[in-house]
Amino acid sequence: MNAVQSPPTREANSRRRPIPWVTLLSAFGLIVTTVVYLLPVGYMLLTSVKSSLEIAVNPLGLPHTLNFENYIDVFNRMNYLRAVLNTVFITAVSSIGIVLVSALAAYPLARVQTRWSSAVYQYFSFGLMVPSFVVIIPLYSLMRSVGLLNTYVGLILIYIAFNIPFAVFFFTSFIRSLPKELEEAGLIDGCTPITVFWYIVLPLLRPVIGTVTMFITLSIWNDFLLPLVFLFDANSRTIMVNVYSFLGYYGFNPTTLFPAAVLGSLPLLVFFFFLQRQIIAGITAGSVKG
Amino acid sequence: MRMRLQTALLFLAPALLLYSLIVIYPTLNGLYLSFTNSTGSARGATFIGLTNYERMVRDVSGFLKPLGTTLIYAALVTVGQTVIGLGLALWMGQLPRLRDAARVALFTPGMLSLIIVGFVWSFIYNPLSGGLNLLLTSVGLESWTRSWLGERGFALPAVVLVNVWMYAGHSAAIFLANYLSIPSELLESATLEGASGWQRFWYIEFPLLAPALTINTALTLIGGLRVFELPFVMTRGGPGDATKVLNLEIFNQAFGQGNYGYGSALTVALLLIILALTLVQNTYLRSRELNT
Repeated sequence: MNAVQSPPTREANSRRRPIPWVTLLSAFGLIVTTVVYLLPVGYMLLTSVKSSLEIAVNPLGLPHTLNFENYIDVFNRMNYLRAVLNTVFITAVSSIGIVLVSALAAYPLARVQTRWSSAVYQYFSFGLMVPSFVVIIPLYSLMRSVGLLNTYVGLILIYIAFNIPFAVFFFTSFIRSLPKELEEAGLIDGCTPITVFWYIVLPLLRPVIGTVTMFITLSIWNDFLLPLVFLFDANSRTIMVNVYSFLGYYGFNPTTLFPAAVLGSLPLLVFFFFLQRQIIAGITAGSVKG
Repeated sequence: MRMRLQTALLFLAPALLLYSLIVIYPTLNGLYLSFTNSTGSARGATFIGLTNYERMVRDVSGFLKPLGTTLIYAALVTVGQTVIGLGLALWMGQLPRLRDAARVALFTPGMLSLIIVGFVWSFIYNPLSGGLNLLLTSVGLESWTRSWLGERGFALPAVVLVNVWMYAGHSAAIFLANYLSIPSELLESATLEGASGWQRFWYIEFPLLAPALTINTALTLIGGLRVFELPFVMTRGGPGDATKVLNLEIFNQAFGQGNYGYGSALTVALLLIILALTLVQNTYLRSRELNT
């Protein structure tokens, strides 16, 4: 999506000619709009380093001194590190599970074209439409009866199952675009289908595995409803449930609210900062195929 | 390529098993629960036929009103996010040098979690120490200050605004990707033929942005109908029931009062409404795409 650049000739022209004032005005307007758009984020960041006195005296201005005591306080009281590690653990295990289970399933779906394989594909794509609220009530009873309520395993299995439709969808269309010759050569050389999958197909899936993992990371990190219902124990909580229950008590005290908000957002913002191109391309790709 | 059925099933087994147990079985079970008076207790549930659904269509405060609120919410978010996203995309499209930076910046709010954004904006809307009222006061608009989430007429639009703020950058990125795929000769020839900016937009750009329009409105509409986190954190459905959307009521019925049967009936109704609206919207917008 970034492929469309102005051709070099146009660039050269614009260097020779002065930029028209309408364009300058428009550019200035866009910059101002973007800055205004990000004001709430700036407000969150700036207020998070103000002491309670400064918030009272100087609520909107730039902070005169950087005060990190609130951060230290919140960091300890919120049990932040534990919640981050919980979330990272759940995200990592779920991602591996989703990638393996879905890539395995996608392989025959992409390579075998029969009535049953398209029926199985349809069966999976049904899951793309079901909102989580429809599933949650009965799933809660199910998890409770098999003793997986409030366990890591339970939530991870739920994440894997919920993401199977979209991952199978991604992997199947990608495998279809790969040439079959490599796999056929492997089979002739005496590989079993499993070894062909493991040594030939899976390595070729690397780019799409990256995209799938990125989506999973984004959605699990910010997810709230599923961990709220299925993993509520204070020590195993994920970051958003942790932020929620912490701020539920201290919510309107700005010296706890803003540091907690920044700490809760920081890991994903760093992730976004480094992978911005891939993330934006991933989210917009596929949506436009004119 | 030949693959024996047993081998294929072996590959499919883990996914089929997990998906069937955790997605399909509960969905069917939820459908069944909606015809029972289940409270989730061990005593089990009695089949009561359509009683839950009969109760639902007469339940003004627990279904009809929240349904109306949800529809208004989804409509406002869809229109707001599409219009703002489209405007920002066209603006960025005109300015190649600022495009990438602006796109990343506008995308950022959507990377934050709904929970955190909900808490931060609750504080911004706070009548006493919140940033919005202080800002209005400092620019001399003191008469505009109010309790944004505490007044009936303002609470819902205030939550809608936060939703639009978070995701208008996503809509803009989708429109922009579509806009950049329009061959530039087309736009240039229109300018050479003497088309005004408005004519160019209305007769060339807007019709060619139909695919992005379809996907954007579909995403925002479905997202709007499923809204939960923002009102859950910001208003709890209040003041009164001004922001009580369907998912808040479902959550309350199921996990607050333990009415699994009635709660399930509400989720089934929401699913059917989402399916119906998506179908209508897709048919309409897709046919519009084909016509252009």
